[in-house]
Amino acid sequence: MSDEIAIGIDLGTSYSCVSVLENGQPVVIPNEWGERTHASVVSFLEDGTVLVGNSAKRNIITNADNTVYSAKRLIGRFYFSDEVKKAQAVMPYRIIEGENNSVRIQVRESVYSLPEISALVLKEMKSIVESYVGHEVKKAVVTVPAYFNDNQRQATKDAGRVAGLEVLRILNEPTAAALSYGFGKDIAQKIAVYDLGGGTFDISILEIGKDVFEVLSTAGDTYLGGDDFDDRIMTWLAEDFLKKTGIDLRLNKYCLQMLKEASERAKIDVGRDGAAKITIEGVCQDPSGQVMDLNATLQEAEFNRMTMDLVQRTFKVCDEALQSARLTASDLDAVILVGGPTRLPIIRTSVKHYFQRDVMTGIDPDEVVAMGAAIQASSLMDSKGDHYLLDVTPLTLRVATVGGYTDKIIDKNTPIPIERSKSYTTNRDGQEKVKIKVYQGESNKASECELLGEFEFSGFRIAYRGEVRIEVTFEIDTNGIVNVTATDVETGQKTSCTIRLSSGLTEEMIQSARQKNAATTLARGAEAA
Amino acid sequence: MADFDESFQIEAHALAQVLDELDYFQILKVAQTASPAEVKGAYYRESRAYHPDRFFQLPDQELREAIGKIYKRINEAYVCLRDDVRRGKYAADVSGPERPKKLRFVEASEQELKKDKEQEIGVTPQGRKFFMAGLQDMAAQRFASAERNFKMALTYEPGNSNYKIKRDEAAKLVKPTDSLR
Repeated sequence: MSDEIAIGIDLGTSYSCVSVLENGQPVVIPNEWGERTHASVVSFLEDGTVLVGNSAKRNIITNADNTVYSAKRLIGRFYFSDEVKKAQAVMPYRIIEGENNSVRIQVRESVYSLPEISALVLKEMKSIVESYVGHEVKKAVVTVPAYFNDNQRQATKDAGRVAGLEVLRILNEPTAAALSYGFGKDIAQKIAVYDLGGGTFDISILEIGKDVFEVLSTAGDTYLGGDDFDDRIMTWLAEDFLKKTGIDLRLNKYCLQMLKEASERAKIDVGRDGAAKITIEGVCQDPSGQVMDLNATLQEAEFNRMTMDLVQRTFKVCDEALQSARLTASDLDAVILVGGPTRLPIIRTSVKHYFQRDVMTGIDPDEVVAMGAAIQASSLMDSKGDHYLLDVTPLTLRVATVGGYTDKIIDKNTPIPIERSKSYTTNRDGQEKVKIKVYQGESNKASECELLGEFEFSGFRIAYRGEVRIEVTFEIDTNGIVNVTATDVETGQKTSCTIRLSSGLTEEMIQSARQKNAATTLARGAEAA
Repeated sequence: MADFDESFQIEAHALAQVLDELDYFQILKVAQTASPAEVKGAYYRESRAYHPDRFFQLPDQELREAIGKIYKRINEAYVCLRDDVRRGKYAADVSGPERPKKLRFVEASEQELKKDKEQEIGVTPQGRKFFMAGLQDMAAQRFASAERNFKMALTYEPGNSNYKIKRDEAAKLVKPTDSLR
């Protein structure tokens, strides 16, 4: 057995975690300060080094322009998407437009793609394990929200490559959690994984039969997470301050960051203690230059009232998942909670009430996903075949038809890998190219779905219209990533394909980003308080 | 690493070659009469044999591709056979004269199904349920049971002409021994 190991990385919106298998059991690897989870924050320091993790998080206020956080909310999105516009309004760092409608982050004179930012977080995770095991690590399984679309998965995979990692698998977070729960237990159960992260919500319903983990359905909301709970507290604090002083703290990005930080802390405190005392010293200056403080107390009842609709939104998604799985809550044997926000009593009580059962205890909601990823990473390395993950595609794959409508190609919740073909004929004499726009989403209107890309096929025979038949094959692989190929039916000739519109990185961009990433030094910050 | 002996390799390559000649029941190695639990069991059994993760480190790329092709078809078969409505139509399709063209439940089958649903399968949930059960009985050659199911369907939609056709078809096929019981 060589030294070669593969690691499992939970690349979260707010926090990331890394794990490896030791003596057959997944172990979370702490950094040199003993921290087991690491803020997914990247702070670019003046000396050219980069600080990642909990110490970088403190720079969100002190080095706001050059500190990037919540990059996962932007990865794999087009510049014109609502999420990007929303982020531009609240993030202190600069979000700019790159080529092909892509999103870029500008830090000082440098411009970074989102995969490059995430790659720095991955580099830190990789380096934590490397200092722990004492040798280089080259392979990893990286998790993503189950509800991530193809663009987001592809971009996450690119991030891994930029970080110098061979990404063995892009694994769905709830599936990873279920694997960690059922691994080596020899159980036969139907379970629900309720995964509320910093920025996304997923629910997956699985059937575990000994060594087989079958995902029956998955549903989610990539616009709903713990951050939204913070936002509610922020709004409450800001409105209150506005009423008392006439000053709107939200108009200043620095004040906003202080508010955000205080709100996140208040959420944690209120969840743990039932009330939170909020103090921000020197939050702003009044018109006469007098420094002002913010003081408030948040009671649990108040917090529950202002976030109840968010909690209810998660249950709408749960309804959808149960319905797709053709089950009711009473058919389930266990409910697993994943993600930091699920520590909140309001979530625990509501989940218990919704599913009519106690949630599983003894599972660490911050670490279980990374542990599942480590199990899968190890299993892919030695191909023991001791368990099988039968996962599904979360979104319906579609192609554009006429008039802004789309046709279904592969239904959501279809097991992967899968492929399906569709025939096209030319509609003009002498036509040289066929263009196909591919979407993911649940509406038959193209405008309400997520565009994956525009594929242009050429290299087939040139003939009269209707004479050339092209068979286009849509494949979704085990990573949930979509591949499109086309063949001239008569000649069997594979046609060439160009992706015309895509938020992704080209091969050259990945290679140069990889060199840049390798040349970047990770700063070692002081232990976070 | 798991050991894939020569006979397994030969079997996998041979299976990949003939995939397009097999129907979904043959892919999952189940009888047309298999219960939903048997279909699921077969899917798990075939997943254990052909899941690509088992072959992840295999240096033989050709074999990996053959396995990938097989496993994608196993998933395709499962998607169709786990759904009562799709399975009913598929079973009828591959039992009919157009079998060679209907081995894969493709876009056209889906379209037909949609049309069928509206025009032939009926409009009431109960009517549909009994009608589909009847179709499955027909495919499994349980004609007496099929006739009963079609009759039940007709009580919910007395005017459905397709139900009547199927009921008469089933009635003709019922063996005398069946009716004596």
